[in-house]
Amino acid sequence: MEKILIEVKHLHKDYKTEDVVTSVLRDINLTIASGEFVSIMGPSGSGKSTLMHILGFLDRPTSGDYLFEGINMLEFEDDTLAAIRNERIGFVFQSFNLLPRTTVLDNVKLPLLYSRKSRDEQAAVKALESVGLAHRMNYFTNQISGGEKQRAAIARALVNNPSVIFADEPTGNLDSRSGKAVMDILQTLNEQGHTIILVTHEMDTARHGKRLVRLKDGQIVGDSAIPDRIRAHDGVELQKTK
Amino acid sequence: MATAFKQAFRGLRSNPPRTALTTLGIIIGIATIVLVVAAGEGFRSFINSQVDSFGSNTVFVQTRVPPTTRARNAGSTTPGPGDALIAVTTLKNRDIEALKTLPNVADAYGVVTGQKIVTFGQNSKTAFIFGADVSRFNIDKGVLVAGRPWTEAEDAGAEQVAILGSDIAKDLFGEDDPVGKTIRVGNYNFSVIGVYQRRGSFGFSNDDQQVFMPLRTAQKKLVGVDYLFFAIAQVRDSSAAAAAAEDMTLLLRANHQITDPDRDDFLVQTQEQGLSTFNTVLAGVTFLLVAVASISLLVGGVGIMNIMYVVVTERIGEIGLKKSLGATSGAILREFLIEAAILTLAGGAVGVSFGAFLAFVVSKIASSLGLAWIFTVPITGIVLGLGVSLGIGLVFGVFPARRAASLDPIEALRYE
Repeated sequence: MEKILIEVKHLHKDYKTEDVVTSVLRDINLTIASGEFVSIMGPSGSGKSTLMHILGFLDRPTSGDYLFEGINMLEFEDDTLAAIRNERIGFVFQSFNLLPRTTVLDNVKLPLLYSRKSRDEQAAVKALESVGLAHRMNYFTNQISGGEKQRAAIARALVNNPSVIFADEPTGNLDSRSGKAVMDILQTLNEQGHTIILVTHEMDTARHGKRLVRLKDGQIVGDSAIPDRIRAHDGVELQKTK
Repeated sequence: MATAFKQAFRGLRSNPPRTALTTLGIIIGIATIVLVVAAGEGFRSFINSQVDSFGSNTVFVQTRVPPTTRARNAGSTTPGPGDALIAVTTLKNRDIEALKTLPNVADAYGVVTGQKIVTFGQNSKTAFIFGADVSRFNIDKGVLVAGRPWTEAEDAGAEQVAILGSDIAKDLFGEDDPVGKTIRVGNYNFSVIGVYQRRGSFGFSNDDQQVFMPLRTAQKKLVGVDYLFFAIAQVRDSSAAAAAAEDMTLLLRANHQITDPDRDDFLVQTQEQGLSTFNTVLAGVTFLLVAVASISLLVGGVGIMNIMYVVVTERIGEIGLKKSLGATSGAILREFLIEAAILTLAGGAVGVSFGAFLAFVVSKIASSLGLAWIFTVPITGIVLGLGVSLGIGLVFGVFPARRAASLDPIEALRYE
C-alpha cells in the first residue's frame, strides 16, 4: 500500500445566503493514497467542484477533518495554504486559464514566480518537454490550439513538481482528439508516479482513471476501482519528466 | 518584486490608449509643477542678472520717512500721497563723499530721478531722467556703444549733456547717430554725448528708456533739489558687504545726527537683503501655482483609482488563477500597487519631460525678448514631479489593489 496522501473525515460544507443554508457536501469520508488516479464523477450540482476546491486548499470545509500528508490543513493561515497550493498542488482547469499576451513559457513559469523556493527556469522548460510542447514555448497563448493550451496548463501544474494534480473537466472545452491527447498525458504522468484527481461529469472521461468516486447531492454514493479502464494512448510522443 | 513588475507591465500594455488617457491628468499636473519650478528658477536667474548689472557687490542706500513722523507712511521707502510735504531731504551729496572714505567701500554714487518730455525734431517722448555722478561709470555695468561718459567737470558745472538709453535713442533718432545732436529735455537743450547698449531690462525702471545725465545737472536744472533720492555703493569684497552696510549705516546716522536707530531717515540694504524679499515673493507665487497644479494631480489620481478598479474587475479570473497557483493576497496587492505606481510614474516622467520642454520654450521666448533668462530644470523639480506621481499611484492604487487582494479565489475562478 502506498502512503496516504489525502484523508477526509466527516467533511461538511454549507453555503449560507440570506437565511438559507445550502448543504453542498454532507459527511464526506475519503482516503486517497499517493500515486492513485481518482476520478470524481457526478452531475452538476453534486458538489464535486466544491470537494476539489477543499481538497486543493482553495476553500475550507464547514466542519470535519482534512489531513494532507498526515497534517490537518484546517490549522493553517491563508498565506500558508497559498504556499502549499504553490508547492504541493497543481490545478488544470476546463478553460485552461492561461494569461493572455504572455508566452507559453512565461505562463508555465508563473507558479515559480510565487514560490518561496529558488526559481529554476529549467523546470518550466522540462515541464513543457514532458507534455510535448517545448517547441511552442515562445508562442503567445493566442497563437496555439485548444489542445496545446491545455497541455501548457498541465505543464504549469507540473512545474513545481506537486504531490497531486487536480484536473477539473480538463477535456470539457476540447474536441475528442485533443481531449484524448490530454488524457494520455495525465495517464502517463500518473504512470510516472504523479497522483491525479480528475473531476468530471462524463463517464467516458472518468473511465481514464483507476478509481471512481461517484458523488450525488453532496454525498459519496459509490467508490470502486474501474474495471474497464480506457487507455488514451494515440501516438503522442511523451518524454519522461525526470 | 521582479514578478510584480513584469505582471504590471503586461497589464499596462494590454490597452495602450486607455493607459495613456488615464495618465493625462498626472501628465498635466506634473508638467505644470515642473514648468512652475523651472520657470521660477529662470526668472530668479534673470532677476539676479538684472541686479548684478547694477554692479557686483553693491549696497543700496534708500531714503525713508522716519517712523512716527507721520504714522500713515511710517517706514515707507516709496513715496505715498502727501509725501511731498515730508520728502526726505537729508541724503546729500556730501554723504556720498563721506561713504567713499570708508575702508570697505570702493566707490559710491548718488542719484536723482525725474520724468520729463524729451524732444528731438518732431519726435517727442516722456522719459525718465537719471542723474548720477561719474562714479556710476566705475560701478554700473552699462556699456556705451557710442560717445563717451560725462566728466567730473561737466558734473560740477551742471553741463547740459546726456547719454541715451538704447530704446529712447531709437525712438528719437531712428537709425541715425544721436551723438553730437541736441535734444530738448524739459526746458533745456542737451547735447547727446553717448548711447548705451541695450540692457534688456523691464519693469518700472527700464534703463533702455532713460536719459542719463550728470547728477548736478539733474539736481539743479531739471528736478530742483539739493539732495539725493538714493545712492549706490560698491564694496571691496563681497564677504564684507554686511560689514560695509553696517559701517555705512553708522556713518550716515552720525552725519544725520540721529541717535535713535528707530528714527533712521535712510535704509542701507545689501544686494542679498534686497533679493531676499524678491525670493520670498517668488517662493510664495511658486507655492500658489504648485497648489493649483495639485488639483490636476488630485483629479488625475482619482482617474487612476477609477481605472484600476476597472482593471481589477477585468482580471478577476486572472486573480483567481494566480491565487490557485499559490499567489498570496500580499503578492496580488503588490502587483496591483506596482501597476498603479508604474502607471503614474510613467505619467510623471512624461509630465516632467513636457514641463521641461515648456520651460525651454519660455526661456527661448524670454531670450528672444532680450532678457537674460537661463533655461534650467532644477533637480528639485524633477524629484518633486516623480516623487509626487509615484506617491499618487501608491495612494490611489491602494484601494483597488486591496479589493483585488481580498477576492475569494473560488469566486474569482468562477467569474469568467
